[in-house]
Amino acid sequence: MKPLFKNIGVLPAMAGLVVIVLLFLLPRFVESTYALHIMILIFISIVMGSSWNLLGGYTGQYSVGHCAYFGMGAYTTMMLMQFRQVPPWLGIWVGMAVALLVALIIGSICFRLRGPYFVLASIAVAEIFRVSALNLKDLTNGAEGILATDIPPLKIGGTIITDFSSKVPFYYTGLVFVLLVILVTWLLQNSKLGYYFQAIREDQDAAHSLGISLTIYKNVALSISAVLTSLAGSLYAVYVGFIDPSTVLALDLSVQIVLICIIGGIGTIFGPVIGALVLVPLSEALRSNVIGESLINSGVVSADSAFGGFLTENLSHAHVLIYGVLVVVVILFMPDGVLGFAKKLAFGKRKEAA
Amino acid sequence: MTIFMQSLISGILIGGVYALIGIGMTIIFGVMRVINFAHGDLLMLGMYGTFYLFTLFNIDPFISIVVIIPLMFLYGGFLQKMFINRILGTLPQNQILLTIGLGLVMSNSVMLAFTSDYKILSTSYSSSSFDILGISISTPLLISFAITAVITVALYWFLLKTDTGQAIRATAQDREAAQLMGINVKRMSIIAFGLGASLAGAAGALISPTYYIFPQVGSTFTLKAFVITVLGGMGSIVGATLSGILIGVAESIGGVYFGAGWKEVVVFVLFLLVLLLKPSGLMGKSNV
Amino acid sequence: MPILEIKHISKFFGGLSANSDVSFEIGHGMIMGLIGPNGAGKTTLFNCITGYYPPSRGDVVFDGRSMHGLQPDKVCKLGMARTWQKVRPLAGMSVVDNVMVGALCRTNSLKKARDMAMEQIMVVGLGHRSGFLAGGLPIGERKKLEVARVLATQPKLLLLDEVMGGLNPAESEELIQLILAIKNLGITQMVIEHDMKAIMRISDRIVVLNSGEKLAEGTPREIVGNPYVVAAYLGSE
Repeated sequence: MKPLFKNIGVLPAMAGLVVIVLLFLLPRFVESTYALHIMILIFISIVMGSSWNLLGGYTGQYSVGHCAYFGMGAYTTMMLMQFRQVPPWLGIWVGMAVALLVALIIGSICFRLRGPYFVLASIAVAEIFRVSALNLKDLTNGAEGILATDIPPLKIGGTIITDFSSKVPFYYTGLVFVLLVILVTWLLQNSKLGYYFQAIREDQDAAHSLGISLTIYKNVALSISAVLTSLAGSLYAVYVGFIDPSTVLALDLSVQIVLICIIGGIGTIFGPVIGALVLVPLSEALRSNVIGESLINSGVVSADSAFGGFLTENLSHAHVLIYGVLVVVVILFMPDGVLGFAKKLAFGKRKEAA
Repeated sequence: MTIFMQSLISGILIGGVYALIGIGMTIIFGVMRVINFAHGDLLMLGMYGTFYLFTLFNIDPFISIVVIIPLMFLYGGFLQKMFINRILGTLPQNQILLTIGLGLVMSNSVMLAFTSDYKILSTSYSSSSFDILGISISTPLLISFAITAVITVALYWFLLKTDTGQAIRATAQDREAAQLMGINVKRMSIIAFGLGASLAGAAGALISPTYYIFPQVGSTFTLKAFVITVLGGMGSIVGATLSGILIGVAESIGGVYFGAGWKEVVVFVLFLLVLLLKPSGLMGKSNV
Repeated sequence: MPILEIKHISKFFGGLSANSDVSFEIGHGMIMGLIGPNGAGKTTLFNCITGYYPPSRGDVVFDGRSMHGLQPDKVCKLGMARTWQKVRPLAGMSVVDNVMVGALCRTNSLKKARDMAMEQIMVVGLGHRSGFLAGGLPIGERKKLEVARVLATQPKLLLLDEVMGGLNPAESEELIQLILAIKNLGITQMVIEHDMKAIMRISDRIVVLNSGEKLAEGTPREIVGNPYVVAAYLGSE
């Protein structure tokens, strides 16, 4: 194990270990299902963000169609569970295989294009999947979506490990997935593959001239990214228990995935983590109307007034608006994301001190 | 055969409006090299503007473009000056994300203000049509096509015959050279975005009698605008005009032969094919 | 057998010909100079040789093997590497990481690649810069970085596209010494250069291109005395 950890300082490694242990212990101390719910959503967001990051952040291929892979995971797992009685922990593997297959097809088409053309092609392909899911009603239930009735209990031998009646099993699944994607990212960053991905991001033509096959390595990056994204989709589908084309195959979702990385800082291991930690609580606070309610409860706004009514009625829809505002602010004022911005601030201060 | 002719005609009529959307986007791309992901949302604003002009002041949707076009021009210029101009030299992906963000702000602000309910603007002639040789032609679509034609001709005249128009075309051809020739490139960018926005707004006004009006309506049109722009060759106005009509026809005929649900797939498959086989677009390299 | 045979290469863009029917050979271990006025088709020829453009006609035979239809990465793996007229550092990566990307062409181990990279960084004299971001280097050091990076791919044949362009005389002299040192390592080189004095000093043979065609070929002495070459240069200026 020694060489694996040689690039990490002892202190950060210890701190990381402590955080992981605490996260594993958390459900023992936290009773609130809402807190667990938020944690699970954060985990799913980290998994989607980190998966995209491998392709967009490290390899520089800005896919704005990643909902395709999320949707492939979600639909495969859900369809197998509802229509074929295949338990989700098996369905997830099929979902990964389907996502891989789709990635190879999409890659072979889209990677012939560069820059804005690649972005547009990735969107177009994802849209084809969305419209297909809407229209193949026999297969996908179309716009009605698929509602999970119940999840079969997970048994090993004769003992029931969990019956999925609480949020705890989802919490642990999410946590394991997060650790997995972070591990994959870290391993990549310290491997030949990672060097090649970054070389492609920095300058495709130069990379090509140094013996890097663009077709092979871009497709490898996309495949890893797609397979991991499908994990997030599968977990989301089973956890929420309902999917339809406009939630798991929508352009909005693709944008959200990119956003998690942009806000945190792309091409870094912990960028997507930061992004998810900023975005999820913010949009949940808006969605569940905590802000509106607290304004009313504190007496600042009367519940009966027109403005109070407006707050309770509409503010819950504003989370996408906040996404929009955040994108604009981040792109204009901190193009390297929150992490990069913080680094710059810290660096600037050090400079002043010196 | 009648069915084919019928869908061909209605495809051409709706294609006129698509052309307007595509021309707007292609001008913005030509001058700034920015792909405007908020284009459909600008169109959505035009639809809402028209809807409220009609319900509050009883202004006919086809008359309202007289108000919508200058308003959207100012709004587009404002967006360019405040936001887009700041990121012109940066990574294309950042430009894309910025316009996505602006689009989200527009559509969700409208949703907060007017709720996400579908609105219908019904005029006396909304569903009227007349027959020529057994082919039924929708009156509002025909009128909007006629107006589209007038706007397009006026636009061509502006770009080809006026000094400002030529300066815009020069900027589109070579930004640096234009700057060296003493053209105020930033100002041209503002005018170009204003033009793009007003064309999108006008398109929104023209289709408002025949479409549902809701905050998220823009994204479909943004995607269509991409397809049209790429198909016509990014930056080519003639290309956008022709491919707008082509897309209208492809959608209309695809809808008839593959079922209405699949018509978008027809368009996207066509789009991917063109991207792969002839990325410079059907019209080749011709510039604005 | 020559290491590189260029056989009747032509390249057309639309109706314009950038190269037409260019043929010559390069022997093992020599330095071949490639000169010609601006727009003579020198860089286009490089791009055809290294797989960036498929030649419209003709073939390139490297080490006895036809390069027909090979992508640039394959060409590099076979032992032919090129630098860029406009330097292309991987700006967001450090100097040593840049060179490691080249070295990874020959090994899968990061540790080995790092050792190989450091070796080449020392050869070009960038040891004091190894941890710096490539994007932050001044032009002279970027050119050296580019050379170190291609050397790390362990080429048999190196194509250098104006490595001295934009450098001051002292820096140019360093690069001349570097090119001669690379020759001593047994690596064959083809060099595009505008600096006539430099090219005459380092080249064993020289090919002159003009308007896409080969105008002359010979030793530096022969080239200087060739009236067509003199006319082409004087005519173009």
